[in-house]
Amino acid sequence: MSEALGKEFTLPLGPMHVALEEPMYFKVTVEGERVRHVEITSGHVHRGMEALATKRNLFQNIVLTERVCSLCSNSHPLTYCMAIENLAGIEVPRRAQYLRVLADEIKRVASHLFNVAILAHIIGYKSLFMHVMEVREIMQDVKETVYGNRMDLAANTLGGVKNDVDAQLFGYITRSLQRLEGHMQEIIDIYASNPMLCSRTVGVGVLPKDEAIRYGLVGPVARGSGLAVDVRRDAPYGIYPELSFNVITETGGDVHSRAMVRLREVNESISLIRQIAANLPEGKLTAPLPVIPAGQGCARTEAPRGELFYFIRTDESDIPTRLKWRVPSYMNWDALEVMMKDCAVADVSLIVNSIDPCVSCTER
Amino acid sequence: MSDIFSLISQSATGLFHLVVFPGGLFALLFGLVLKGIDRKVEARLQRRVGPPLLQPFYDLVKLASKETIIPETANKTLFMYAPLLGFTGMAVCLALLPVPGVYYGMENMGDMLVFFYLLPLPAIALMVAGSSSSSPFGALGFSREMTLMFAYEVPLLLVILAVAMQVGGEGSAEFSLRKIIEYQREHGSFGFTLSMLPAFVAYLLYLPGTMGVPPFDVAEAETEILEGPLLEYSGGLLAFFQLTSAMKLVIALGFGVVMFFPGTVAGGPLVNIVWFAAKCLLLMLVALTLCKAATARMRIEQALSFYLKYPATLALVSVVLAWVSL
Repeated sequence: MSEALGKEFTLPLGPMHVALEEPMYFKVTVEGERVRHVEITSGHVHRGMEALATKRNLFQNIVLTERVCSLCSNSHPLTYCMAIENLAGIEVPRRAQYLRVLADEIKRVASHLFNVAILAHIIGYKSLFMHVMEVREIMQDVKETVYGNRMDLAANTLGGVKNDVDAQLFGYITRSLQRLEGHMQEIIDIYASNPMLCSRTVGVGVLPKDEAIRYGLVGPVARGSGLAVDVRRDAPYGIYPELSFNVITETGGDVHSRAMVRLREVNESISLIRQIAANLPEGKLTAPLPVIPAGQGCARTEAPRGELFYFIRTDESDIPTRLKWRVPSYMNWDALEVMMKDCAVADVSLIVNSIDPCVSCTER
Repeated sequence: MSDIFSLISQSATGLFHLVVFPGGLFALLFGLVLKGIDRKVEARLQRRVGPPLLQPFYDLVKLASKETIIPETANKTLFMYAPLLGFTGMAVCLALLPVPGVYYGMENMGDMLVFFYLLPLPAIALMVAGSSSSSPFGALGFSREMTLMFAYEVPLLLVILAVAMQVGGEGSAEFSLRKIIEYQREHGSFGFTLSMLPAFVAYLLYLPGTMGVPPFDVAEAETEILEGPLLEYSGGLLAFFQLTSAMKLVIALGFGVVMFFPGTVAGGPLVNIVWFAAKCLLLMLVALTLCKAATARMRIEQALSFYLKYPATLALVSVVLAWVSL
């Protein structure tokens, strides 16, 4: 089929592209239906947020970091608050720590389901896309009911959480999880065995384990290549050491493995939320806040896309002199050049989606 | 004197068939309504509300009122005439489309072969459009469309051959659609004939390929190559592509009905037109709408090997069965 276009030519993918959720520009050099070279240009949604953070006080920055990106909108303020708590030595009450994990895992379920739904959309499987998005809607309803918002939960504050979740709400959450779990089994079966889906995803965009280590990959992308990294287990924070969960890995290293990791992690998150509902202690929601001293602090968490790292430097004022964060997509998108090596044009957007790139996080 | 009268009346009926029925007005309205039903049913299958039934009409009206932009680097003549190529091809083809019990097209000539030659025209128009638009997506769409066309034309040819040989009998073939309809009136519809069943299944599988719907929408895959050849089209020219597609839908379905289910019902022509339309609708729902809702897009090489493996083999089985007159 490449006879018609024997010579190489450039295919501009992006910055606006139906298969990309956010602006990102791929200059793809194509020979027939084969990709020979990919050049990634980013920076279309740079908003100068790190500079903005040094113009706002510590509380205003919670609101700012929540707006870095929509899908990991809970991970950013959580890690930001943790960095300040580490800096000032604030002990977060246990109930608040449980509720923080609750918010984070709810967001993780919704984020993972969103990504695997987009996978179905990209390969043109619209019915499956609609089905997964409808299942994800259960989690969106939970967010709206518990926190009042579908995307930005505003759950975190310095030294604790903003709102309590009472027994009645937990009853609702547990019932929703039950509904979700029934659908999840079916969805995992579909993704694991549907021949059309497998023929488009198995063996596509392969990233071997040694390359995953070389590129320093994080999150579900690394775990899809058999690399068991998870900040929740490797550098435990909050109450994760007290909860039991598995670090899901797959060995294929392809688009399919990464999707399966995400789907199976949804089940882990469901189990985590159940454990929280069962063991939630009584107590305060926030710790008393001392004056934040001058100094440097950092924190890292497992965002839906992988390790999220925050660094903060303060003088004695309430405005940070530096706030810096490193997002998982920054580590992962360099590996695209390995995954896309000699792939088919049809698979470019599929591979890009498989690392679940969060462009607005990365460019902020 | 009578010669002139018959000539005038002949060309008048010809014009009628081209512009009013079964071509032109009837086919356009029918095709667009079919598209509307297709979109609505697909949406309901996916638990969406879906567009109103008349959305294809609204789309056309909107497109007609929009500016047509021709890219500076495009080959302007080809770019402008590509949509007309498919449109006129389909318009002529429709004038020959038999509606069993009402109209029999070209009577005793080999009109089945004319269908085989005219049916690929919209695909060729897309290829011309893709290559003249000077967009790399158009070029990719061009190469994909060409590969895909090669893939689905093989089973179509075999299906036609199977039907023609079944009617011709004893090693000969009959390419007149009227004779094919009459043969089935005597011997039963091919859709219910055991030896023709593989060919019918092959035709069902041919339909999504020729109509460019999932899983064979590779040439226009929007998440991969952004509608490919159609990417640079806008306004009236894009509307022509949509009209062509609606007309092609009627032809592809009608051709299938004529080949496999040409049965008529008692009653006037109007009843038979409705009967024909109902059969087309059913064929569309099975072969296009359900298929679209249940599948994911294939890669071009997957589509190619699929067509050469399954539908071609199925049609070949029917050819052999027709040849040995089972």
